[in-house]
Parts: sequence; C-alpha cells; structure tokens
Amino acid sequence: MKTNLNDLFAGLPEEYSSPDVLDSDDARERLQAIFADLALKPVPVGSLKRLWTLGELSTQVTLAYIALWMRGWFADAETKQRSEMDTNLRVALKMIHGLGYLRGAATKLGQAFGSLPEILPEQVLSTLDSLHAQAPPMHFSLLREMVRNELGRDPSEIFADFDKQPFAAASIGQVHRATLKSGEDVAVKIQYPGIARAMEADLRNLMALILPMRLTRNWENVKGSCLAVQDMLRQEVDYIREAENMRQARALFGPEDGILVPRVYDEYSTAKVLTSEFLPGPGLKEFLAANPDQSLRDEFGRKMLVAWYRLFYSDHSHSDPHSGNYVFLRDGRLGILDFGCVQHLTASEREVLDRGEAIFDRKITLEELLRVFGIPESDIANPEYLAASRRHNEWLAVPLWNEGPFDFGEEGFFRKGVESLQEAMSKRVTAPPMYLYLLRSIFGWRALGFRLRCRVDQNTIRRTELARRRNRLSH
Amino acid sequence: MVDTNWCLSLFYERDHFMRITAEAKVATRERIVKAAAKLFRKNGWESTTTRGIAAAAGIATGTLFNYFESKEAIVAALIAEALERAEQEIRNRDESLEEELFTFIWTELASLRAYRKFLADAAESILSPLRRYARESAGDSIRANHLEAVEQILISRGVPGPLPAVTMQLYWTLYLGVFAHWATDDSANQEDTLALLDQSLKLFITSLPRPGDQHHEDESE
Repeated sequence: MKTNLNDLFAGLPEEYSSPDVLDSDDARERLQAIFADLALKPVPVGSLKRLWTLGELSTQVTLAYIALWMRGWFADAETKQRSEMDTNLRVALKMIHGLGYLRGAATKLGQAFGSLPEILPEQVLSTLDSLHAQAPPMHFSLLREMVRNELGRDPSEIFADFDKQPFAAASIGQVHRATLKSGEDVAVKIQYPGIARAMEADLRNLMALILPMRLTRNWENVKGSCLAVQDMLRQEVDYIREAENMRQARALFGPEDGILVPRVYDEYSTAKVLTSEFLPGPGLKEFLAANPDQSLRDEFGRKMLVAWYRLFYSDHSHSDPHSGNYVFLRDGRLGILDFGCVQHLTASEREVLDRGEAIFDRKITLEELLRVFGIPESDIANPEYLAASRRHNEWLAVPLWNEGPFDFGEEGFFRKGVESLQEAMSKRVTAPPMYLYLLRSIFGWRALGFRLRCRVDQNTIRRTELARRRNRLSH
Repeated sequence: MVDTNWCLSLFYERDHFMRITAEAKVATRERIVKAAAKLFRKNGWESTTTRGIAAAAGIATGTLFNYFESKEAIVAALIAEALERAEQEIRNRDESLEEELFTFIWTELASLRAYRKFLADAAESILSPLRRYARESAGDSIRANHLEAVEQILISRGVPGPLPAVTMQLYWTLYLGVFAHWATDDSANQEDTLALLDQSLKLFITSLPRPGDQHHEDESE
C-alpha cells in the first residue's frame, strides 16, 4: 500500500502539497493509515490501483473511512489533533478529487461525508459541500462532443436552451439544466468520456485477480461483496439501467404520496446521457437555511422514509440516499433524484431479509438473526463479537421498538450509530453481501434524518409499507 | 492608332486563360489528394506508391511531382487543411484557454477522422520525433505550422511570450501522444481520446508560465 500512497503523493498538484500540510510526519502517517484501510490487500498491478480505490471508496470503505476518522476524533478530542485530522481529510479529498477517474468516487465520498454534519469539523464540511456543488472539470467543448457522440447533434440543436454551466456534480459526470423544444425543463446528466470502458476493463482484471484468492476465513462472503460492488459499479456507469430504475421507481408513487421521481425522456437519453424532468426546488442545505418549522421537517422526513420503505419492499432499494439526491419542492412534495445506485434484491436475498426482519418485531433473538445471516457458530459464541453485533443491531432497531414518532435529530442517537458501526467493524462483524449496500442506504438516510432533525414514526411507516407489499404480492 | 478594344480583349483573354490554368491546377491537386487518400485507405500507407497515386488521379507520375514531392507531402497537405479548419473553428470564440486548445485539436482530429486508419502508419514516418532529423521531412512543416498556431493561441490568451522551447516541446510531445492514441483508438467515437486530450491539456496548462512569472520586481510594491 505504501507504493500506492507515494504514487498519490507524487501526483499531488503543488498547491495541495504545501509544506505545512504534508511535511508533518503525523499527517503523513494518518493519511497513510487511511489509504492502508482503503485496500484490503496490496494490489501489485498499476492499472488496477485506480479501480481498487474506486470500488473500495464507493462501498463499505466509505463507511470504514468514516469510522476511522470518527475514531480519531472521539479518541483524541484535543483541538490541535482535530484540526490536523480535518486538514488531512481535506488534503485526501482534494487529492482524490484531482485524480481523473477517481473524481467520481471522490464525489461519492464527499456525499457520504456531507450527510454527517456536526460531527465533522466545520472546515471539512465546507470542503465536502463544495464537492457536492462544485462542477467536475468537464468544459462545454468536451461536453458538446459527448452530446454529439451520444445524441447525434449539438446541444444547441437538440434543446431550445442549454445551460453551459453544470448545476450539479454527478458521480461520474455532471448535470446541466436545459429546456426541450417542447418546453419542458429538464436535467441532462452527461458522463465523462471513456469512464465506462475504463471501469469495465479494470473490473475484469480485478475480478480475475480477486475471485480465485482465499484471503480470509470468510472468503465466500468477501467474494459475494466483490460481486455486489461489481454489479453496482456497472449499473452506475450505465444510464440506460438508471433510466429503467427511475421508471420503476416512478411507478411506485401516486399523487397522494407527495413523492415524485422525475420522468425520463428516452429520446434524449443513452447509456451516457440521461435526460429527465427537472424538479424545481431547494436542496437540503437551502431548505434548512430557511429555518423550516418542525412540522415541515417531520413531514419531509416522513416522506423520505416512506419512499425508502416503498422502494425497499419493492426490491429496488435506493442505495444512495444522500442530501444531493433530494429536492424539497415548494408545494410540499419530496423529489427523489439519482437512481444510479439501486440494489435489486433477489428472491433468496429477500427471503433472508424477511426472516431477519423478525428481530424488529422481537420475534427472534440476535443469535437467531446471526444464524439467518449465515454467521459461523464460532463467532456467535464469541462474547465480544456478539456484544458488538448487539449494539449495532440495537441502533438499527430502536426506532422500530419505539411507539410513535422517533427523534432522528438527536445527536446522541446518531453518534451511537457511528460508534456501533466502528465497533462492529473493529470486531470484524460480517453480514451477507447484500448488507453492504443496505447498510449504506440505512446509514445514509439516518444521516439525513439527523441533519433534518425530524421526528418520524418509523414503526408505523414500516407496518404500512409492509402491508402494502403483502397486498401487492397477494394480487 | 491602336485599337483599345483589341488591347483590352487581349488582356481579358490572357487573364481568363491564366485563371483557367490556376483553377485546373487546384483541381488536379485536389484530384491527387483525393486519389491518394482513397488508395491509402484501401491499400494502406506502406503499399501505396506515388506511381499508383498518379495513375489513380489520371496523370503522369512526373506531373504528380510538380504538385507534391512525396506521398508524405500529400498527407501533410491533408493535415494542413485540417489545421486550417481548426483555426477557423476557434476564431471569434470566447472560451477559456483550455477549452480553446481543446476545440482546436479536436476539430483538427475530427476533420481527419476519415483518414484515421492510414494516418497511424503515415504518422510513424512523418511525425515520429525520432525520424525527424533523419532527412528533410514533410513532418517539419506540419510541426512548425501547428506549433505556430498554438503559440498564437497561447499568446493571445495572455501567456507571457516568448514561450520557452521546452514548453512547446512538451506540447508537441503530448499532442503526438494524443494523435497516436486517436489514430488507433477503438472506443466508440474515439471517446477515450477525448478523455486523454482533456487530461493532457490540463497537464500542459499547469506547466505554462503564468503572467507575472518574469516580473518579480512588480510584486515588491
């Protein structure tokens, strides 16, 4: 891993390697620790390095990364150290941000962190917020070539109006506002050139390298996780699949739900360009800046959770619920964007989840849950392992064991979630591969609920949506 | 008494005659370039001879040499045309330096798209920096014209001139790399080259001298 890190340092633009930041041995060491954590094992082949980091960043390591930082902050609360940590994070993010194809992963990382306010020092948050908003460096001339390649004509010929400045960073491209000739306002997401192919080639190499290995006792699980990552990455670079995800999701909500998934315009969409309805309204930050009252925050929180459960119980779990993917429409509706990362649960995965969910109704014990998840008996017999699992599971279950609205804005509760996750990871608590994205999804929306400081009756929402699912299945 | 009308008619006819000759020359030149491009595409760079090109254009081999001294020169003409189009494209545009350079190079490459297949081989013998000094080469003029256009872009964008030779050499090295990649790029619409060009230009631009680099005394104010 050292080589990788040095390569990364060598690739640093000058402004980021200013002596006060990187010449500190401590900073270097900490950064090294982060990158050591980013790779499960050193990968010897140069071309794989990029993808390795990419795959890691966009999945469980995003969480590992959070945990690593959290641990640092909670363990050493000294101001000096805190500021060092956030300098490091800033450097790490900017560094990754500057690395070509890794830009997408860096944006994702930023979004994951951006959902964890107050726990992170202010300075870090502002860097992260700029990752949200800052347009990736694809200038209009390059973008025009991509549109020409994909749609056959210049944006100026296709659209009545096309904003040359992007208004959002997508994970591997950027989003522009435009108006169709028929008058509709749309958002046009355009992929950076060559990324799908590069990713596919890297994936092939990587999988050929990893799959035959048996690095851990629980190899089948790791292998499953790798395949889950592979599938998700493939899905993310294919806007045709994303368009399909959006169509499926859109059909799940009616006017009475007050939840809106944008319509896709197929005639202006390809694997690398996605044109969809533009939803006017503030994002989370702007929404909160206007000091919305508790009832409004609760209502949006409720809609977020209804949407989450509806998608989850339709086996299309939205794996990427970060603040940039929600629009708080002025008429009170909640808009959900970006379906590039949707976990399609298989029948057997659903069966495991159904059995496991009984723990939320207190119908099975933790030990039974772990057995449903296929955890080895030796782990279940280990008191430390069991305790870590219990704390993590309790954090997941508490809002469901609660009658009535639960306060997701309570800092102690959220902090407990971060800590329990850290602990679970340090004790190497494992779960089925599908859990990788599911956890990311749950964590993502709880971070949002925390930021929104909403009080939501998760228990009732779950029951209603579960009944809806049973109803649907019985028809 | 001299008939003025007669004199005038003589003059006009001469002019007319010269114009026809000039037009015929342009047409022949075009015919040669077209025939050559067709043969290059069909038979490849190496197997195409000037004799073959002359035959395809319907002229004597000797006549061909009145127009082009070698098949390299024909390719140089194709590239010169593309370069002209590229210069045309960036005229009157209000873009960043990076974007302007991007448009300039990509327009040139896009106008050569139909010739991509043989340009890879042709570039080996014309543009290769290793061969440049071996003999007088059509590549020299390609390089000089291209770099002149780039230098103009840079200076018009406030990059302090005269530009160091090493800056231009770095540009040329990157450009040749992009060109070589493009010529053999099998991705759809040469999309991978788009990415390479984008990143190469970013790299090049960070290497440029910035305004004020040579005026340190100004900073002491």
